[in-house]
Amino acid sequence: MKKWQSIVILTVLAILIVLGSVFGFLSLDNGELGITNYYAYITNISLGLDLSGGVYAVYEVDESKLTDEQKSDIDNLIKGTMASLESLLFSKGYTEAQVTESNKRIRVEIPDEDDPERIFSLIGRPSSFEFKEYVDGKEGDLSLNDANGKVKLEEKFTGTDIASTGVRYDDSTGYYEVVLSFTEEGTKKFSTATTALTGSQLSIWINDEFVIAPNVNSAITQGTASISGNYSYDQAYDLAVRIQSGSFPLVLKMSESNTLTATLGSSAIKAGLISGIVGLVLIFLYVIIMYKLMGVAASLSLWFYSLTYLFFLSIFPWVQLTLSGIAGVLLSIGMAVDANVIIFERVKEEYRNGKTMRTSILTGFKRSLGAIIDGNVTTIIGAVVLIAFGAATIKSFGITLLIGIIISLLASLLLTRLILECILVFNDESKAGLFGLKRDIEKGIPEEDEQEQEETSVGSNKKTKRGGAER
Amino acid sequence: MKKILNAKIVEKHWIWAIAPVIIFLVAVIAFTSFAVTNKDITKGINIGIDFAGGSILTVELGSDVLNNQEEYNKHYNKIESVLTSNEIAKQVVEYAKTLGIDISESAAVASISYVQTSGSGSEMSLVIKYDNISSTFDTKTNELTTYRNQILENEIKDYYTNEYQDSSITISTSYIGATASASLIRTALIAVCVSLLFILIYIMIRFEIWSGFAAIIGLVHDVAMMVFLVIIFRVQVNSAFIAALITIVSYSINNTIVVFDRVRENKKKLGGSFKNDVKNNVVEMNNKMVNESIMQTLTRSINSTITTMVAITIFAIIGTASVREFALPVIFGLIAGFYSSLVIAPSLYCLMKNSVDKRKIAKRDGLKKSPTYAGAKVK
Repeated sequence: MKKWQSIVILTVLAILIVLGSVFGFLSLDNGELGITNYYAYITNISLGLDLSGGVYAVYEVDESKLTDEQKSDIDNLIKGTMASLESLLFSKGYTEAQVTESNKRIRVEIPDEDDPERIFSLIGRPSSFEFKEYVDGKEGDLSLNDANGKVKLEEKFTGTDIASTGVRYDDSTGYYEVVLSFTEEGTKKFSTATTALTGSQLSIWINDEFVIAPNVNSAITQGTASISGNYSYDQAYDLAVRIQSGSFPLVLKMSESNTLTATLGSSAIKAGLISGIVGLVLIFLYVIIMYKLMGVAASLSLWFYSLTYLFFLSIFPWVQLTLSGIAGVLLSIGMAVDANVIIFERVKEEYRNGKTMRTSILTGFKRSLGAIIDGNVTTIIGAVVLIAFGAATIKSFGITLLIGIIISLLASLLLTRLILECILVFNDESKAGLFGLKRDIEKGIPEEDEQEQEETSVGSNKKTKRGGAER
Repeated sequence: MKKILNAKIVEKHWIWAIAPVIIFLVAVIAFTSFAVTNKDITKGINIGIDFAGGSILTVELGSDVLNNQEEYNKHYNKIESVLTSNEIAKQVVEYAKTLGIDISESAAVASISYVQTSGSGSEMSLVIKYDNISSTFDTKTNELTTYRNQILENEIKDYYTNEYQDSSITISTSYIGATASASLIRTALIAVCVSLLFILIYIMIRFEIWSGFAAIIGLVHDVAMMVFLVIIFRVQVNSAFIAALITIVSYSINNTIVVFDRVRENKKKLGGSFKNDVKNNVVEMNNKMVNESIMQTLTRSINSTITTMVAITIFAIIGTASVREFALPVIFGLIAGFYSSLVIAPSLYCLMKNSVDKRKIAKRDGLKKSPTYAGAKVK
């Protein structure tokens, strides 16, 4: 690398860091510089219930609609409904929603983001859902066997056969559609029905109202279907939520709803931020004292890492920061520092054993790669499993951790190295002290030292080899 | 420097076991004594409302009162004093006797988990969540909890009627179960076990079978130590504790891997020379190699643990009480993780590796039928 190249790189980095810090932490909403509507991106990070508070709603079971059989099994049905509610809320982006039960009343708490009142009222207005045969503009009932002896459904296809719903944009029409994915049972029913109806029309009925009657071109066995009714996004979203609510084992009625303040107190988020910054500054001091110029490179790279990390946290929709999310952030920062420490310790060791400064740094990076990759991969495995298997709060921890680890790998393996190489251009071998590098005084001249090192670590080994020869 | 590099670490595996065993014993004593004095096994560990279920007291005071810090404190302190009053606890104990339940007074006092405000305007209320009498969900203790909630509600109502001549304030208590949280613990445990399994497989592929087992046992040690220390120091266990556990599992494995990575590298340097060794030498060499690896990575382990500890400690100092409840277990875990990755996992690795290598050599020498040199026994 030439001097001018490294100056360019360092300048670009400096500009990025300054811009990142400004956009990250400064909101321009009071007309400074003539800007009134810019909010620092860290304020865009959505917060969980414990940090920001939110709203809650309590649902009662609509007893009038219960059959005797349902009444006797009410506890299990409530549990099932709670599970369905949790998955509905999760799929609609409320990853931090909490669902609890008391005295057959289900309490749902959602952080105050994205108009949760709306989803509350939608859940309280479930939609019934049915597929029917469609003949000559009239409904035909799929549950009936027809005279021609076609295979028909033995049971009606209803809302309970639906596992989840989603909203999708249809490029060809410019409208949104509701995507349904069926349960195992539902897939079977739908496959039987579409097999029987191939070539004719199927109709979709919501709340006993006719919605659409698509032609069945071929049997659908994949377990998904979509309803396109020229919906706007809002219409499709409402319908999706209501259909999914209709698939709950129990019909719910909303009995109360109100706002809540943060359980951790409003100061928790400020505390997190301040401790993050103070912690980072202390870490910077520590690595600079320990590793001098290498520490400076690491600090720059860590600060850049933190800004990038916060930026990604603010743009990813699944991120809802809670106390455990903050734990994920702190852990990722810890891992990022750790990677740098592993590398620098290695560089120091290589230099101690007689390599030149430049080679030490390059070898240091190369030799610590294994440890860093293995350490981070195991953490990534952990994070992915948490996302796949964990409950809501644990998922959010997994997500923040995963994002953090991936960025930290890039930061420590690429960015720290780049900055170090840039700094290296301005320093020759005589400046090794500035990088915190020292030769091993005890061991004397480098070349001999390398050999001695070999000697000590394989000493006992050679002895046995000799022993073997004597045999 | 050389002296330190020759430190004997893995040879002293029995010494390293002492600290965990002592912590385990103290935890058992602490658990038993708290369970016995409270006459309730669930009180052995300080379970928070997240897991144990609890009750919510709502007092509708309006935003005029609640947004005024001075007024807020006055009302809150009064309500708190009612909630934690010994008089009410005594009544509850008396009532418990009529139900045939024997509980201690301290178990009958409500312990507040957290305070929020809810709603806005004249409907703004103070919401206080506190624990139930017992987290076992039988009908009798439920009845007891309901009874206590009723007394508390009446007591507070009386206070407002007498002090403020205001009987219109809405006061209510309700009971919240912990069903959702039970599933939270279950899914969290499943998630942790599954990730341990995958991590084990990964380490076995990238390192050795024995490194995998040693690393996983080290992790189990860390988790166990966190639980024990939390029992000893009576830290409240709520969903944040689960997060803390997972944090440590993810972090501590990293420490262990750095040590094992060094072992892997040092072993490569030595090459396949092991094959010609006799039993005693193999043990000596394995031990020496692992000891060296530990010492070579020691500075890094210390530095990394310190930097992470700095971040988490500041979080604890600046944060609220709930934040501290989370940070304390993490700090316990960091120390446990440091300990296990430096001494426990490597010692276990050597124990397993040595016994396997010894057997291999014995087998080889047995096949050659040449039990001529010392130290080799044919089995």
